[in-house]
Amino acid sequence: MNIVAIEALTKDYSLDSTTVHALRGVDLNIKSGELLSVMGPSGSGKTTLLNIIGCVDTPTSGKVEVAGTDIGSLKDKELTDLRLRKIGFIFQTFNLIPVLNTLENVEFPLLLMKEQSATDIRRKAKDLLHAVGLGDHLHHRPAELSGGQRQRVAIARALVTEPALVLADEPTANLDSATGASILDLMVQMNQSLGTTFLFSTHDPDVQKYAQRIVKIHDGLIQDD
Amino acid sequence: MLALKIAWRNIFRHRGKSLVIGSILALGALLLTLGNSVISGMEKGLEKSVVESFTGDIILVSQDQIDDNVILDMAGKPLEDIFRYDTIKPYLENSGLFTGFVPAGKDFVMALNEHGGTPGFAFLLGINFADWQKVFPDNLELLQGQWPQSTGLIIPSGSLEILYTTMGTWFSPPHSELDSSFMPKDAKENYGNLRVQNDIVFMGHSATNTATDIRMTVDAVVKYKALNVIWGHFILTDINSYRQSMGYFNQDEEQEEISAENLALLSFDSDNLDALFGNDMDFEEMFSQESVSPEKEEFVPKTEEAGVYQMIFTRIKPEINRQAAMDSLNRLFAQEDIPLRPLTWQTASGVIGSMSILIKASLNVFVAFLFFVAIIIIVNTLSMAALERTSEIGMMRAVGARKGFIARMFMLETGVLAFVFGNLGVLLGFIVVLVIRSLNITTDNDMLQLFFGGDTFNPTFGLADLLLTYAQLAAVTILAALYPINIARKITPLDAISRE
Repeated sequence: MNIVAIEALTKDYSLDSTTVHALRGVDLNIKSGELLSVMGPSGSGKTTLLNIIGCVDTPTSGKVEVAGTDIGSLKDKELTDLRLRKIGFIFQTFNLIPVLNTLENVEFPLLLMKEQSATDIRRKAKDLLHAVGLGDHLHHRPAELSGGQRQRVAIARALVTEPALVLADEPTANLDSATGASILDLMVQMNQSLGTTFLFSTHDPDVQKYAQRIVKIHDGLIQDD
Repeated sequence: MLALKIAWRNIFRHRGKSLVIGSILALGALLLTLGNSVISGMEKGLEKSVVESFTGDIILVSQDQIDDNVILDMAGKPLEDIFRYDTIKPYLENSGLFTGFVPAGKDFVMALNEHGGTPGFAFLLGINFADWQKVFPDNLELLQGQWPQSTGLIIPSGSLEILYTTMGTWFSPPHSELDSSFMPKDAKENYGNLRVQNDIVFMGHSATNTATDIRMTVDAVVKYKALNVIWGHFILTDINSYRQSMGYFNQDEEQEEISAENLALLSFDSDNLDALFGNDMDFEEMFSQESVSPEKEEFVPKTEEAGVYQMIFTRIKPEINRQAAMDSLNRLFAQEDIPLRPLTWQTASGVIGSMSILIKASLNVFVAFLFFVAIIIIVNTLSMAALERTSEIGMMRAVGARKGFIARMFMLETGVLAFVFGNLGVLLGFIVVLVIRSLNITTDNDMLQLFFGGDTFNPTFGLADLLLTYAQLAAVTILAALYPINIARKITPLDAISRE
């Protein structure tokens, strides 16, 4: 079953008087449970692709289905709800709400959903934080955590809603190699234990060993899959 | 709860900005509290000073009276007459609306200068002293002389000063020493050479524009305890002396039988006066004219209360709403065909009402200016805060927070600041009001007396003022937060990613 189905996706940006063709006709299907890496140099279009799959940007043309929903016809509120329920995000740097502690950050998406009791939400968040190795840091604020620990919290928050897809845009870019490796190990572990689909972008060739599938992108086109 | 938790913690995280916004809100609340207290104190003070001192709650005037400004009409236009008060009085007594009422005659008189200089002018109020004091007890302070019994003349210090300025004569009750304490500076300097008179000649005018001179001895010099500078223009005399000076009949005057011939001559109405001496004079036709109307015959009153007045001052029972009393009176006058109409004290005392509205409007403009400045500063600070938090807000939006959540979070943040600092400002304002009251600041200045609502600066801060201040603060908070909230709402996850 395809979690993501993309046909002839293009994305153009207007930059003053010129138009930048960030994506120039991308076709891509991602199956449920895959751990896929999108690789390419800076400016190749990998972040744009992730943004459109993550429903934070809109295509210029083409068709994008995420978890069975065509995102082209959705309004802001529906896109927000789709992100909340079906997609988990791990960003490069700005990942956590500074005024909430570790536990509260993980609880945040579930509290927005307003579907579970406070007790269930707390239990689930704690379980996930234990699973990512932060059981001892439940009440620490983001500023009191290391870069690697923050990314672990982000992984826990991305998984807490049991999404169909987790998107990670260069999740190790700001980490040292050892910490980056541990984060990728964790993503692999979560992919295998929970069966969640992971899609991460990177420009680091060393990262490809963690992915089950690698999509190489260059100048807005998929070069190799 | 989630939005509130984040808002609350953000306040402490961004302490500097919170303190800036909070300080503006506290200062705004303090100034709003003071402004509202001054306005409220002025309104209450004015009402007390005007209503309890001079006008009463509602003034009844003749149905034919067109101009509403019946108390302080500086043009000195005569008011329409009220006839047969003795027949109206029982209706007023039985209405159950009043704690008291008193009729009065009021007109402009000229004080003749017997030394050949400029005459003086004043309002003359004709009253029954006993009835007046029942309705307005304790509104006058005796400065010199003695209270008159049934007849006499009471001059307020304000009128003395005006008469002295125009006529160069100082009026003083007989057998009493000159008191310089209430004299104007000029009179004090001339104390030894003052031209002093114990009596004063007033020249009023009748309805037929004939002048009547009346010499009256000054019995007492008084001071109105509140707004003396305004009410000091009104010289008080007994109603009979008033009527005499204005050419009205009194009950003690004899109604003289006039022969038919004289009656015809008196009532002869023609532009051709020569006809009186001409050969074609038709005496028979003249004598047959019905020239004296029954109303004119009744004009000579049988009792004091049957005579002419111009207004009736009334005090409404405290439990009765003024507007309700106005409505009741309008109904009563229409049902019983009483030729009167009621005026509120604000309408009747036109200049004071206008001045108080002007002062109130000025204070409100000041408050609105505060509003504007506070809103601009808060909008600027909050907008900066929203833009600085683009990454944080964009991330929240990416993980599923709707625009409404972001808006709620910002509104709560501003709301909490407004609540905490607003209350602090209100509390400080209240303390300042208490301090001002304890200082017991008094003034003799006309404008300041209007601003103070009396002789003493007495700002008041009641529940209504508190609610008004909160409403104004809420308006400032909401207006100030709208634009920054809109900025925050428009931040997209993509903005956050682009910034990264």
